[in-house]
Amino acid sequence: MAPRPVEIVVDGVSKAFGTVQALVDVHVRVRAGEFLSLIGPSGCGKTTLLKTIAGLVAPDSGRVVVGGRTVEGPGRECSVVFQDFALLPWATVQKNAEFGLLLRGVPAAARAERARGMIAKVGLAGFEHAYPAQLSGGMQQRVGLARALAVNPQVLLMDEPFASIDEQTRRVFQDDLLQLWSEERKTVVLVTHSMEEAIYLSDRVVVLSPRPGRVHQVLEVPLPRPREGAGVRATAEFARLVDDLWKVLRKLQ
Amino acid sequence: MVVALRAASVIAFVLLWEWAARVPISFNFPSPWATLTALVALLRSGAILSATATSLQSLALGFGIAIAVGVPLGLVMGVVRPVGRVARVYLDLLIALPTAALIPLVILSFGINILSSAVIVFVFSVPFVTMNAYGGVRDVRPRLLEMAHAFDASRWQVFVRIVLPSALPMILAGIRYALSRAFVGLIVAELLLSPFGLGRLIMASRSMFEHDRMFATVLWTLLLAGVALAALARLEGRLLRWRT
Repeated sequence: MAPRPVEIVVDGVSKAFGTVQALVDVHVRVRAGEFLSLIGPSGCGKTTLLKTIAGLVAPDSGRVVVGGRTVEGPGRECSVVFQDFALLPWATVQKNAEFGLLLRGVPAAARAERARGMIAKVGLAGFEHAYPAQLSGGMQQRVGLARALAVNPQVLLMDEPFASIDEQTRRVFQDDLLQLWSEERKTVVLVTHSMEEAIYLSDRVVVLSPRPGRVHQVLEVPLPRPREGAGVRATAEFARLVDDLWKVLRKLQ
Repeated sequence: MVVALRAASVIAFVLLWEWAARVPISFNFPSPWATLTALVALLRSGAILSATATSLQSLALGFGIAIAVGVPLGLVMGVVRPVGRVARVYLDLLIALPTAALIPLVILSFGINILSSAVIVFVFSVPFVTMNAYGGVRDVRPRLLEMAHAFDASRWQVFVRIVLPSALPMILAGIRYALSRAFVGLIVAELLLSPFGLGRLIMASRSMFEHDRMFATVLWTLLLAGVALAALARLEGRLLRWRT
């Protein structure tokens, strides 16, 4: 059922918007099945890098290879989760979760079953007929996640998915995401501006420097897994890793 | 609360009307009661019903074509930007156009018949249908388009699955507004050009100094417009249930 996770190679990618150099000669290798975070001051091009991997932004030079295929536009390997959820306000939770499958021509019955399963997996069983406006931000993002996972991608690309969600909800959601990730084994790239989030979730954290955006440093996160519900946040090791990351980021401000 | 307010506003309106009829500000200004009596008489004789049938034919024809032309035109304007930029100039002019002044031209082109008033109804209502469809397309959230692109949606899928449902609320609001414009256009056309329908009834009563009948016909037209608008509002509420 779950496809084999794939490697992502960002190979010398540069991108300018007008006179603004968003990315310059960026090299990142995301291992198959890895959870990798991109962090950096605003304007460092982390979202641009994510969109380049998604095929939504074409690089000026360099290339992105996902699972051996050079990215030339949006493909079936990747799903994107957006900061503002990007749900269809006129569609129910069920229809929103089905949306990617609908676009790919999956027959109605298979679509409904697959989406229902995913809705249950993200913890929204019973809300299938609710509209997005009736849900909290955290629940809306769970719909966004269900929609992304329903098409069974090999790569999950998340653009600050927890940024518009309150702190308590975010912590529960992060644990649920780790749990889901351990079951589904996707390669995950997460854009975030939260140091705690990056350390808590990731295998490695890539720090980007701003204007122009380039890879500044890559930090390993050697915290054991599973981390969810294990009180990792309270450990000295966690605090030290967050502090290390802060020392790196501080110099970039 | 709303119901009580509505009832109060109607009562206040009727009282004000009654007062206006008693004050000698104008010659033969009919009271609410006189108007209502005249309306009942017009309904009994069937005069107003046959006039209504004629008028509604022009309205349905002109307004129907306005929707059939205006919605697709507005959508094309929104999707193909250069077309939008060119066409909106003409639409702005069409809205500013003193349409009544065109009526002689319409008669010359189409003759004195139902078609002429349908043309006027069309000209009155089509810019608003078109403008709102155009605006609805331009207001589509870019993020939703990006999301669909991330799923590698085709242009047709983006149009049907994102653009059309996004634009629907504005399209429906435009249709509703255009309907009230269509009623105005209808009466103007019938007053000024064609000896048909409700407009003719209003003219005929006025020329005979039967102001109660004239008022009754105007009131009846308002009632028709009110019912039609309420029906559209209901349909809108049904189609846009997700907005609650």
